[in-house]
Amino acid sequence: MGRRLPQIFFALSTLALVLIVVAVWQATTPSWKNYQHTFFQLEAQEEPNALTKAAVLATPPQIHQILLPGLQRVDRCTTCHLGVDDPTMKNAPEPFRYHAGLGPHVPSRFGCTICHGGQGLATDVKDAHGNAPFWPDPLLATDYIRASCGRCHKEGDVPGVPELTEGRRLFETEGCHGCHKLNGVGGSIGPDLTEEGANHRSPEWLENHFLAPNVVSAGSAMPNFHFTRDQARALTYYMLSLTSADMGSYYASVQLIPSPGYGRQLFVEKDCIVCHAIGGAGAKVGPDLLGVTKLHSSEWLDEQLINPQLVYPGSSMPEYDLETNARKALVAFLSTATQQDAQDILARKGRVLTPEDAAIAAGKQDFARFGCAGCHGTELQGGVPNPNAQGGQVPSLLHVSDDYTKDEVLQIIRDGKVPPLDNAAGPTPPLYMPSWKHLMSDEDVHQIVEFLWSMQQKSTESW
Amino acid sequence: MNLIREIWQSIVRRDPLSTDKGKSELVFLNVWLHIHPAKVKKESLRFKFTFYLGFITFFLFLILVTTGIALMFYYRPYPPQAYQDMKDLQFVVFMGPFLRAMHRWSAHAMVVCVFLHMCRVFYTGSYKKPRQFNWVVGVLLLLLTLGLSFTGYLLPWDQLAYWAITVGTNIGSYAPIIGGQVREILLGGHTVGEAALIRFYVLHVAILPSLMILLTIVHFWRIRKDGGLSRPLWKLKPNAPEALVTIGAPAQSAPLRTVQAAPDKTYGLMEVVTGKPIFETITPDEEEDAVFSYPYAFFREAIALMVTVTGIMAISLFFHAPLEELANPAKTPNPAKAPWYFLGLQELVSHSALLGGVVAPALMVLALLAIPYFDRNPSRRPSDRKWALWLFTIFVVANLVLIVIGTFFRGPGWALVPPWVHVVARAE
Repeated sequence: MGRRLPQIFFALSTLALVLIVVAVWQATTPSWKNYQHTFFQLEAQEEPNALTKAAVLATPPQIHQILLPGLQRVDRCTTCHLGVDDPTMKNAPEPFRYHAGLGPHVPSRFGCTICHGGQGLATDVKDAHGNAPFWPDPLLATDYIRASCGRCHKEGDVPGVPELTEGRRLFETEGCHGCHKLNGVGGSIGPDLTEEGANHRSPEWLENHFLAPNVVSAGSAMPNFHFTRDQARALTYYMLSLTSADMGSYYASVQLIPSPGYGRQLFVEKDCIVCHAIGGAGAKVGPDLLGVTKLHSSEWLDEQLINPQLVYPGSSMPEYDLETNARKALVAFLSTATQQDAQDILARKGRVLTPEDAAIAAGKQDFARFGCAGCHGTELQGGVPNPNAQGGQVPSLLHVSDDYTKDEVLQIIRDGKVPPLDNAAGPTPPLYMPSWKHLMSDEDVHQIVEFLWSMQQKSTESW
Repeated sequence: MNLIREIWQSIVRRDPLSTDKGKSELVFLNVWLHIHPAKVKKESLRFKFTFYLGFITFFLFLILVTTGIALMFYYRPYPPQAYQDMKDLQFVVFMGPFLRAMHRWSAHAMVVCVFLHMCRVFYTGSYKKPRQFNWVVGVLLLLLTLGLSFTGYLLPWDQLAYWAITVGTNIGSYAPIIGGQVREILLGGHTVGEAALIRFYVLHVAILPSLMILLTIVHFWRIRKDGGLSRPLWKLKPNAPEALVTIGAPAQSAPLRTVQAAPDKTYGLMEVVTGKPIFETITPDEEEDAVFSYPYAFFREAIALMVTVTGIMAISLFFHAPLEELANPAKTPNPAKAPWYFLGLQELVSHSALLGGVVAPALMVLALLAIPYFDRNPSRRPSDRKWALWLFTIFVVANLVLIVIGTFFRGPGWALVPPWVHVVARAE
């Protein structure tokens, strides 16, 4: 009984040993070590000295990682992409090539995945590039990379990315808010878009969806806005940039790029024209600002904006408590500002509105801000298809005063309205008037009605 | 040389293993081995009787403790670092994927082996007198194993973990009156969150393993005290007693007990207590049936250990432990499924929350605990207990069928979908 037991035990122990050796071998030969080896050979080629050549080749392989607590990520991409920040690797083959044109966005401070997507934690090609199951964020196609700028630069112009500015503009003016919530504001007919950029839809899907919503997503209530391909791309850029993810204080501080446009906006907001002139246009209390950037260094101007008393004791210029980027923006604007700018600013400033006009103007803004235009049209013309609603489309608002009193319209905006059916047995129309009372103040609703009525008068006259 | 021999002697302190005395001393002079008897019954070692399932379960537990402690060095039990630590194990920790896979697959294997071990004990009638209480301890160990697996399931903090625990704890909350509160105490809130993770972690690495070790000690001790490893008693023929030795105290009038004298055994009286023996006895000459634990039992145990370890290692080399996306409370997978061993329960719950989620599992556990006291039939011979075998088989098959349906036949919306039909769930 049991004569062969020790032999079996010995055989199994040997097998266990073999398995351990295999496991260790598997763990000691990851693919990134091969890449590093190739890179060191590449580096060694450039070395003239045999000693340094040997030293380069003998570099111990190790994982490189960029810790970015501010962005809540760890990027190990540079474990293989070893030449990203080395200009001598300009012509090296991938994955070692130098990343040109990054400006201030050096990998050591920003990592890679914040723009490119992919899985920063991974150390093998397939997983790192995000083409792996259960990693929702694959590498963003090159055509769409620039959309990522909008993840930090959430406002204002982003130089080199006109698509983002255009996308934001379209979103505001085409009335997308009417159906979609963004950062808590907007309707609820369509999905909330606050995290659309974090949903990791493919850019191609988004773009096609904007061109023909019903084709990509059957039964979608979204009207076809007949966007051009460029507009669809601009909106896709904007969608890809949408995420509420916390970018940390350092990255949040650069949300606004100090562009001349933003500087001009500040110039108007802070009423600089009250004291200063540009090229003679404006007041003469302070110095004329034409060519001021050629007169003084940007450091000097910055100091002046922080603490005017320090530079000119007794100066009557107030301290404005502007952020670094706001000051830079002002200086950027001043370097391009002309007399024409000052005249434009002065021309807009003078007009004083009557309370009625003000209400109508505010109503017009509300109409755009809350996205009413999305369904009712920017010119109140209606006409968005709404199958099985009476008339088959969203009604025009140009003749509201014929059918309703102001109070009735107030009521409809506050409580919403389900459109009357064309065919009582048919399906529910996809679009309906949502209730706005939780989103709009009473003042907003009144202003919108005033705006509608102002449009009515015009249209009856023209009829 | 003499010094080395002396040092070795000071450690082992036994006669050479070639002698019977040495073989016995190997066992009872060694604190780790003396849970064994010096000699074991031949019948107990038969593979086809026990399949060594108890041993294998214990060895899996040892693997789990070892790999588990190693994993603790790399794990922070708060979200979302917990998930990042899984990624680090996968991508940068030396042998991290292997370690995690071994822990994962051992955990699944242990649930399976505990269950199979229970079936074996039932089918061989080994829960019968005097082993009733050890069956109860075994059922508690089964529950602890499920508890350990369930609490460990949450720790990777991925979608799989998050929703399995959400569904699993929801099943528990169907119990009337206390259900909701038990869930809240377990989760430290109303939903699975940071508080739940730290609670599950403490349960998984401290409380449940401690209980497991304590009960395992009781379980093993009782095996010794109840008559050693189980064996097919019904196949052994009680022989007619021959030479008898009377054990009695000379000072007292009546003999206390009469036993058969084994020819090669010296009898000495240490102390006398009155009463019947508590352990299983068949025949006085069963000593003839016994062999020394070394080498017969020890090598078999060691082989069982090596089979378990190599099996788990081989599987772990080729199959990595699953890891899905970071847990996202806002994104419910469809269908959200509990861990596989609770899918039978989830299947029942889908038909009736109260009956399936509370009454059925409660009855199941109570019935298991009560089996040795309820089953009054003293015979272990299979032909004498047809009813019991049928009932238990139905119980096992029903469980398996429910788990298979829940695992492979339930698609989005818990609709009946055969596994060979691929259904794409719409995101919105």
